[in-house]
Amino acid sequence: MQNQTPSRVHPAAKMHAEEYADGKISRREFLTRATALGVTTAAAYGMIGASPVKAAGHAQAGGTLRHQMEVRGLKEPRVYDWPQIANLMRGNFEYLVEYNNDGSVRGMLVESWDVSDDAKTITLNVRKGVMWDDGSELTAEDVARNIEGWCEKDVEGNSMAGRMATLIDPDTNKAIDGAIEVVDSHTVRLNLPAPDITIIVGMADYPAAIIPANFNADDVMSSMGTGPFKLVELEVGVKARLERKPDHTWWGTEVYGGPYLDAIEYIDYGTDPAAWLAAIEAEEVDVLYESVGEFIDVFDSLDLEKAEVVTGATVVIRTNQLAEMDGATPYADKRVRQAFAMAVNNEVVLELGYGNRGVVAENHHVAPVHPEYAELPAPEYNPEKALELMTEAGYADMEHELISIDDDWRKNSTDAAAAMMRDAGLNIKRTILPGSTFWNDWAKYPFSSTSWNHRPLGVQILALAYRSGEAWNEAAYSNPEFDSLLGDALAVADADARREIMAKLQMIMQEDGVIIQPYWRSLYNHARPGQVGTGIHISYEHHHYKFGFAA
Amino acid sequence: MGLFILRRVGVMILTALCLTFIVFFLTNLYPNLEKLAKTQGNMRMTDEQVESWLSERGYLDPLPVKYGRWLGVLPGWTFEDPEDGKITGRCIEPGMEPADVPRFCGILQGDWGESTVFKAEVGEVTANRLALTGKLMFWVMVLMVPSALLIGVLAGMREGSKLDRSLSTFSIASTATPEYVSGVIFITLLASSAGVKWFKGTATSAAENATFENFFLPVLTIALYGMGYIARMTRASMTEVMTAQYIRTARLKGVSFRNIVLKHALRNALIAPFTVIMLQFPWLLNGVVIVETLFNYKGFGWTLVQAAGNNDIELLLACSVAAVFVVLVTQLISDIGYVFLNPRIRIA
Repeated sequence: MQNQTPSRVHPAAKMHAEEYADGKISRREFLTRATALGVTTAAAYGMIGASPVKAAGHAQAGGTLRHQMEVRGLKEPRVYDWPQIANLMRGNFEYLVEYNNDGSVRGMLVESWDVSDDAKTITLNVRKGVMWDDGSELTAEDVARNIEGWCEKDVEGNSMAGRMATLIDPDTNKAIDGAIEVVDSHTVRLNLPAPDITIIVGMADYPAAIIPANFNADDVMSSMGTGPFKLVELEVGVKARLERKPDHTWWGTEVYGGPYLDAIEYIDYGTDPAAWLAAIEAEEVDVLYESVGEFIDVFDSLDLEKAEVVTGATVVIRTNQLAEMDGATPYADKRVRQAFAMAVNNEVVLELGYGNRGVVAENHHVAPVHPEYAELPAPEYNPEKALELMTEAGYADMEHELISIDDDWRKNSTDAAAAMMRDAGLNIKRTILPGSTFWNDWAKYPFSSTSWNHRPLGVQILALAYRSGEAWNEAAYSNPEFDSLLGDALAVADADARREIMAKLQMIMQEDGVIIQPYWRSLYNHARPGQVGTGIHISYEHHHYKFGFAA
Repeated sequence: MGLFILRRVGVMILTALCLTFIVFFLTNLYPNLEKLAKTQGNMRMTDEQVESWLSERGYLDPLPVKYGRWLGVLPGWTFEDPEDGKITGRCIEPGMEPADVPRFCGILQGDWGESTVFKAEVGEVTANRLALTGKLMFWVMVLMVPSALLIGVLAGMREGSKLDRSLSTFSIASTATPEYVSGVIFITLLASSAGVKWFKGTATSAAENATFENFFLPVLTIALYGMGYIARMTRASMTEVMTAQYIRTARLKGVSFRNIVLKHALRNALIAPFTVIMLQFPWLLNGVVIVETLFNYKGFGWTLVQAAGNNDIELLLACSVAAVFVVLVTQLISDIGYVFLNPRIRIA
């Protein structure tokens, strides 16, 4: 495991260790909080007297693993819009930190980090001895350059800008002068104008891959990297092949172990689970990217191994508050939004839409797995009152078009919600769009459902999706009180202190009827027996160095 | 004959021009361009970002200009980045010196453009995928044509016999079952844990290494559909021939039934099915869209679905040209072949 302990342990982390000992927080919560504060995973486990689980303990060396996954075209990392793209390059482009299924964040290219008590100074200790393919060493300059790149908000589709928002100067849409400071060859200091506790976990997200100075966006595939694998073959929509770099000594071998495989093949079987079923039955793939919906039961009935992870991934049914329909903006009216929320019983949606494979959610997009989750009473389910509110708002006769993507669980969940709205007497029309067109206007549909991936902290998702003016604010939600409270929450490193603010934020979300959020999903994937380290990751990351065949 | 072929080629070019212009027009409608920008840039781009993405790549120029560029009669677009002065353009490939950049780069120059979905040369993608579909079609023809003719001739020999009735029922049933039904039934019964696992329910690996196990089901699915149709045509033609005067004469002469069928009836009976078989090629191009998607075989049909789904303009155009080519060439062959089979017809 980690061979160095950080220079000091954050006081809040010690406090969390005590909380864990008192049984106030779970181990997962403790790990997320402590590691976000700069404590290494090993040290964090040490603080509570536990030992980390080693995933790939008994892997044999060698072999080619065939993995079912959509093979998408490459682009530069910061504009990645699918984890699949990141997975293709993940063997080559590594990340500063790595988020794991147990909720912990551990250092990769950054060995350790310190967060100051006011959460305004973050010191990144870049790992020594990490080599690019050309033999040069990864330095603090490389890390600083990448962070600057993430801060270029004007780059079309650069979603890292949202994660690094605190570092960005609103006038220039670039990193604030002096915010990213190279202290010495292996130390980077981030001087934030305001406290931000999400920066570190944001660096674990899939667009945050570290690219070399001579990176060329037109030729991503042959770019050099620091990882142990290289993408040698790529046919978009068909297949891709990653091979071990022949003369490369990977830094991680002595730190985390692995890599075990000689090669990994990604084979594209489209988006239809029936095709995945045919593929694994024909023994043409060893591991599935993800098992979804009723196919989980089908896969269970075959001779396969199932992996499960409970997440903060979810589906959200939201109205766009700025949407104009026939000259009116019905969804700007809080009563209309509340009516929708009250008409839907989230438990029923979970059962009908997702076969009870998850946990009921409470319409505020903060998950129980998030460290700062505040428990609130369940949202009110009251169909009579829903119709009353709708009538009061004057939109009782209006037909509301509820749009969803054409897939298994999102379609079914949206159907279930629509059925309950109709039962409540609301006038709902369902429209199902194919996956290829759905995402064109996803943030602008007046009334639609959207899937959201898991993120490590609750404040992250609120900042990304519900803060005024954010690109992904699909609800067009704009509430100054919410924004300012969220700003406060983003400044509190201590999750317990933050929870008090979160309770208010979650309450505002519920009260304003911003979203109907029926459930949190568990994710599953299946593999043919004999694989290790290929179980599904909480945010669909493929850590290739953990993959292997059982010895 | 030469003039006839020349005229046909002229028609082909004209048809291709009209069709590609229609496809070009439809794929260049703004919502489609927006879709393109989002699938290429980032799914979750804002409107302003979409606009600048499109204009930087010449997509917002007038339609005739863009079509002219694709044809290669107008110079390609160029764009100079206001910040770093980097020039990008339709004809500029990465690493090219500005002086070497050609002014025109359209199909007249042999440049079919770049596929936005597959990130590769359109010409290369289309050729690769057509070759794979060609492989599929070849085996479909090998299975379909002999069995269809056999069934048709056997059924048409003695109209109304038990053999005729049972073979006709089979033909009608097979041609009335669409591929997406028969394909799913075959996969369930012959290639899954629900039935027997004799074959593989996916033909992805057949692209590189086709075996009986992984390639038979898609071939059978397409072949069955066409088989019934051709068999019905052959049967109709055969029964007509069998009632002709010269067959009656041959019978009265005492020729054996076997010889009547093989020596006297067969050649005349095959004229009509020949045209039908040739017409099957365009039908097959149609059918492979479903079957290739169902069996995940990455040929022309699958490419067409991907191109259409992602509004890959240049790839769709190349697909249309390929489709026009296949349709008209098979028609040409059928017209010329007809002359050889039927001496009563002459082409000026």
